[in-house]
Amino acid sequence: MTLQTTSPLRRKRRPTTGLLFLAPFGLLFIFVFIIPILYSAYISLFQNKLIGGQSFVGLDNYVRLFKDPQFYDGAIRVVVFTAIQVPIMLLCAILLALAVDSLRLHGTRFFRIVVFLPYAVPAIVSTLMWGFMLGIRYGLIGNLNDALGTRFDPFAPETTMASIGIMVTWGFTGYNMLIFYAALRAIPRELYEAAAIDGATEMQVVRNIKLPALRGSLTVTVIFSIIGTFQLFNEPNILSSLVSNSGITSYYTPNLYAYTLAFTGSQQGYAAALALVMAAFTIVIAYIVQIRGMKNAFDK
Amino acid sequence: MRKTRIAAVATALTAVIALAGCSGSADEAPTAGAIPTDEPITLTVWSWDGTVEAAVPGFEKKYPNITVDVVNAGSSTDEYTALDNAIQAGSGVPDIAMFEYFVLPFFAIPGKLTDLSVYGADELGKDYVEAAWGEVNIDGAPYALPSDYGPAAMFYNQKVLAEAGVEEPPATWDEFYEAAKKVRALGGDHYITNDSADIFLLLSLIWESGGRPFQVEGTDVKIDFTDEGTARAVEYWQRMLDEDLINTKITGWSDDWNRGLNDGTLATQLIGGWFTSTLPERAPDAAGDFRIAELPQWEEGERSGAENGGSAMAIPADAPNKDAAYAFLEYFTHGEGLQARIDEGAFVPTLSFLEDEAFLASTNEFFGDQAYNEVLASASKNVGTGWQYPPFFSWARSSYEDLSAPLYNSGEGTLAELLETWRERMTEYGNEQGFAVS
Amino acid sequence: MLSTSSRAARRPTLHTVENPRKSPLMTFFVGLFALYCLLPMVWLLINATKSQTDFVSTFGLAFGGELALWDNIVGVFTFQDGIFARWLLNTVMYVVVGALVSTFLAALGGYALAKHNFFGKKAFLLVVLGSISVPGIALAIPQFLLFAQMGLTNTPWAVLIPSFINPFGLYLMWVYSSDAVPNALIEAARIDGAKEFRIFWQIALPMLAPATVTVLLFSFVSIWNNYFLPLIMLKDPAWYPLTIGINQWNKLGSTAGNGELIQNLVITASLITIVPLIIAFLCLQRYWQSGLALGAVKD
Repeated sequence: MTLQTTSPLRRKRRPTTGLLFLAPFGLLFIFVFIIPILYSAYISLFQNKLIGGQSFVGLDNYVRLFKDPQFYDGAIRVVVFTAIQVPIMLLCAILLALAVDSLRLHGTRFFRIVVFLPYAVPAIVSTLMWGFMLGIRYGLIGNLNDALGTRFDPFAPETTMASIGIMVTWGFTGYNMLIFYAALRAIPRELYEAAAIDGATEMQVVRNIKLPALRGSLTVTVIFSIIGTFQLFNEPNILSSLVSNSGITSYYTPNLYAYTLAFTGSQQGYAAALALVMAAFTIVIAYIVQIRGMKNAFDK
Repeated sequence: MRKTRIAAVATALTAVIALAGCSGSADEAPTAGAIPTDEPITLTVWSWDGTVEAAVPGFEKKYPNITVDVVNAGSSTDEYTALDNAIQAGSGVPDIAMFEYFVLPFFAIPGKLTDLSVYGADELGKDYVEAAWGEVNIDGAPYALPSDYGPAAMFYNQKVLAEAGVEEPPATWDEFYEAAKKVRALGGDHYITNDSADIFLLLSLIWESGGRPFQVEGTDVKIDFTDEGTARAVEYWQRMLDEDLINTKITGWSDDWNRGLNDGTLATQLIGGWFTSTLPERAPDAAGDFRIAELPQWEEGERSGAENGGSAMAIPADAPNKDAAYAFLEYFTHGEGLQARIDEGAFVPTLSFLEDEAFLASTNEFFGDQAYNEVLASASKNVGTGWQYPPFFSWARSSYEDLSAPLYNSGEGTLAELLETWRERMTEYGNEQGFAVS
Repeated sequence: MLSTSSRAARRPTLHTVENPRKSPLMTFFVGLFALYCLLPMVWLLINATKSQTDFVSTFGLAFGGELALWDNIVGVFTFQDGIFARWLLNTVMYVVVGALVSTFLAALGGYALAKHNFFGKKAFLLVVLGSISVPGIALAIPQFLLFAQMGLTNTPWAVLIPSFINPFGLYLMWVYSSDAVPNALIEAARIDGAKEFRIFWQIALPMLAPATVTVLLFSFVSIWNNYFLPLIMLKDPAWYPLTIGINQWNKLGSTAGNGELIQNLVITASLITIVPLIIAFLCLQRYWQSGLALGAVKD
């Protein structure tokens, strides 16, 4: 990550200009984010009952949350999922970016668009498509099973997470690939020419010029992928009504659990507490990754 | 109706409403006013039932100053969430909203719906199927008017059953069991029906068997799955599951389900009568093969029935134009607007409709030449009374789906155990939510 | 690979400097991945050509008996009195206004964070980045209540205003402004007496073009696919964006009851929904040709 260089801008420049520039964003941000989150924190101190309405319970919701097995079930699942899916997806994205950048592909432009396309597809549409593809009765997998004589079910409780992983990777690899590709494109040509003069092989170029250049984007993509994956919601939510016996419960991921609590169980205070705890947890993890990423940038 | 009881409950309800502190005018006793005829009024009606729209032109002609806006604000749960949000925010509450029968207590008990007896709705009971009327009455007062109905019936694919060697539709559950074995013997993916933890299916069987697992009085809820009627249905279904006679891998309303009905691998469906309008689009290849019969009975010659779905329309307590709203509500669920809806294919629980000769004689080539409405009308009248849903049924339903996974996925445990765990969960949740559940 | 060209006068070439030898092997593997990406789209395309009857009766990747693509398109635009066209227009409006405003605000703010000094900069950036970690569910109900108080629910503002905030965009613009806009240029302009905003608008913004376009594109996609918050805020179908409308059509046939089964329309509508995004991408992609630095590049 580029460190903010303290530029020699003269301090006597009115410091308020910066604030003014930031103000539109800042004010909207307060309205759209700060106030709701404060309100959310406030709600989390109350318990909602169908009979009896709202009542103040202090930190009870949080205490209850930390004893809630359904919460842990979802949280652990999402952490494990992230730990597996994110590295795989980012590895694919890096390899693709390198491949596209190498200009050794036939039809570079075609591949670039095609790999990005899945990102443009809304979740409802992509889940429908994948629901079909992975269906064992009338879907492609069904046909494969018949052809190979297997009985593989992508939506059995043991395999559902893997299937969701396939769907998420499908949707986001292209997006991450673009970020890496942009970073590669910005490498100054002089570095390549210098390497050519030194007689470097392609592998050496990749290792010594390209990969280091990706470090910054890697940190960024890792952080944002972790944040996004921790909030996994769309796929389990839509799949639960499409396929049966998939093992997807109403508390399958923390976000889904919060949604169920708020909208089906009328327990908005508890849902708010859950969401805030997950947010805090995500921020901590993102911060840790950020620190490690920056450290790596330092000891090159 | 026992009037003193109504008074007592009304007082209790008012106290509860006051305590609940729900927003809105629920604390004023609603009075029926005359509908103003000079000022323009726009009524907002939330309904995912497409037939309501058909009643609008006639109503607008009768009341030229009223415009009715029918909006699909979501199906089922989506709409209930939206309504709850709107009530909480105090804005955007519609004049009339659609509710499936099981969710009425959820809204009625905390006072979110208008008690319609002030408009004289309690007089309308005799015009409706008894069981339907029973469900819109919460603690003795009508909070909604029944709008459509789903008497549980058996839709069967005659051709597939004949192939399996079942010439007559099963009339008792024992016959159904035998038929199931024969259908299974056809091989492949043939099953007599599917069930992927469909709580409404199970409850309709329990209902028909005379079981009444939920008893609700005000905020007192008693849950018991061990009464005779319930136990009988549960044991039967357990046996069907154990012997692999039910397809547990297909969920109702999914694409797979449509295809299963279409290609005949699902031979029957035990489902509500309203299925007549949507089955033809889901199983076009099976046109002419399906027939309808009443649910198999427990004892030969018995005539008992159950309900599987159906909905009612109610006026939220915070609705902006209640008097005009009631006029339209009565019009399209009870009055002159009914015919237009029936022409669109609605199946309504009014006795006059169910006894209408033209209706009873109508046929649809999808069902061959069967006068299927006779079956459905008869089934409607046979629906057992006294059924109640607990006030937190929406939550309970999602909890049931979570709990049923081990049994339906891997055969762990039994249906009885599942129901017992469910009962425990519901007791815990209900008590936490301020009800007295035992 | 050092290309042993017989034209020895040239320097030994590297793959990015000159047209390298194409690798069929690499193409094959990338092609596999492209297949993975395309297959669901192919499914979408094939099924958009089937009528409802054919859809239920035929295998997913096979064509139906009749080519119903045109009928389906007509169906999509006429179902429920042509509300789809309204949804399309709504979405275009949400996206154009939302993407433009949010990118502008992000650029303005990011530039300020990079080039101006003022109190609370670091803290502000941290909070903004932290906001991305907060699940939408935590904000949805409070936002709904807040907007309801102001009478904004069920209006397009309920969708637009939240879309004006793009924290990731702000971050990108901050990073890119730090890297790509030389302080010397700004200083020179100031010495010449230019106003701050003019400096931003005429000097910095053009230099930030590749980043701005990236933020614009990502914001375009994200607003186009926005689902959760509009679902809670909007109850009047006249203001629905496409995602919510399509989902509602899908729910008609997949919830117990008498809703119509219009899978063919849902699929065709989904296809129509994706097309503008593809066009947008194709139009904007040439900006990637001209070196884009996101995150750290020059360490």
